[in-house]
Amino acid sequence: MFLRMFFRSFFIQAGWNYERFQNLGFAFSMQPALEKIYPDREKLKAALLRHLQLFNTQPYMASFVLGNMAGLEERAAAGPEARLKSLPGVKQALASSYASIGDRIFWGRLKPMTTQICLLVWAAGGFYGWLFTGLDTPVSMPLLLAGPLLGIAFYSAFAVYWRWRGLKAGYACGGEASCGLDCADWPRLTRVLSTAGFLMSVAIVLLAFGMLAALNGGSERSLDLALKIGLPLGVLALHRAARALGRSVFFAAGLLLAVSVLAFGIFKLQPFKLYL
Amino acid sequence: MIAALKVIISAALSGLLGLDSVQAGQFLLSRPAFVGPVLGWLNGCPLEGARLGILLELLYIDFIPLGGVVPPSGTAAAAAGVLAHSAGGLPPSLAFFLGLAAGRAFAPIEYRLRAARSSWNSVIEEQVKNGDLSLRRWLAKAMLFENAAMAAYIICWTALAAGLAWLPGLSRLYPGMDFAYSLMPWLGLSGLYFRFRTQIYKKA
Repeated sequence: MFLRMFFRSFFIQAGWNYERFQNLGFAFSMQPALEKIYPDREKLKAALLRHLQLFNTQPYMASFVLGNMAGLEERAAAGPEARLKSLPGVKQALASSYASIGDRIFWGRLKPMTTQICLLVWAAGGFYGWLFTGLDTPVSMPLLLAGPLLGIAFYSAFAVYWRWRGLKAGYACGGEASCGLDCADWPRLTRVLSTAGFLMSVAIVLLAFGMLAALNGGSERSLDLALKIGLPLGVLALHRAARALGRSVFFAAGLLLAVSVLAFGIFKLQPFKLYL
Repeated sequence: MIAALKVIISAALSGLLGLDSVQAGQFLLSRPAFVGPVLGWLNGCPLEGARLGILLELLYIDFIPLGGVVPPSGTAAAAAGVLAHSAGGLPPSLAFFLGLAAGRAFAPIEYRLRAARSSWNSVIEEQVKNGDLSLRRWLAKAMLFENAAMAAYIICWTALAAGLAWLPGLSRLYPGMDFAYSLMPWLGLSGLYFRFRTQIYKKA
């Protein structure tokens, strides 16, 4: 039952819709448990309809709710059905709590960390072609794929682990509105990931500016060097200004494109590269 | 003929990888950093594919799929960008900005697909009430639509890119585009740095 629920939980967002969000995927994932709990077809139908109602949470953390609901349904089937009255409330409370935790951990931290891992793996392999767009250094296909794949492996290890652990933890305490919330020190995990992510960011930025300085090391005019270091700093400032104004990164990218095309395409200024 | 076949295969593969972003798995196989080098390799330009992919990834880090928000599609951006370069014959800089636009423009399509599925709920409920408890076919239908929409979308953008390459006088804009493109890594790095810098700052 757990294994089938676990595999089905990978499709929790299939069928996502604006009326009831993840309801279809949730009911699909619950089905193996419900089929085991309710051999009677009418009761199974009623249970499936219960879980086709509105549901939305962070997809990886949905396992906690799945396990919890399986436990609650099992207890309700064995005892008084009145227990099922608490089902919508518990489900909603857990969905909100886990959405908040999952968004911070997976979307806010682990996801950008996969990009950082990719860049660091490429840097370790001596590939900086992503940073200097005109630089055509030879690079092997295994290295190009190793970067994103290692990031994906790191991320997926977390995601798969919490999907499985959530199912088990949720089932063990089924029916409680705070079920599984204490199975990890979430604030500490969040802090550790933030710190690790920040350190990797600093390393990548230092590497990038170090490479830029190194590639301009032979520059005879200090004005050249200042311009080539200053421009990226200006871009960083532009990104911050765009965010401060509530504009997305598309705004900053569009502005850079428009100014560059005007300067070098229309006004015919002499284009230059950021490196020698 | 072979080029057209490669575009169709790449678009179908993009559709499959795109399923990973929401519909199935969510292992991040749909991220531009992975889609870029894979499609680049398939189309004979792995380095440019990887470069376009990671740069789009860096810019798309800014968008988080919280709640019901539909973020721009990184898969569509990377696939359209790589194919605009390899099959459309555009320079990497223009292919990049085209990819950026393609990813942004896919969000309304994704929104409509999600909205259209709302009407399924009453039909599914009726089906369950009538004793047919199979939900699998609905999930398969949702994935099939998503896959087909993404593949068709990528083919359209590749055709647009190929059309753009024929525009007279477009090459006059290339120096400016190349320069703006050379600044994109730094724009992406800013997003990456400040995402974590803000978290640490808030914590303190």
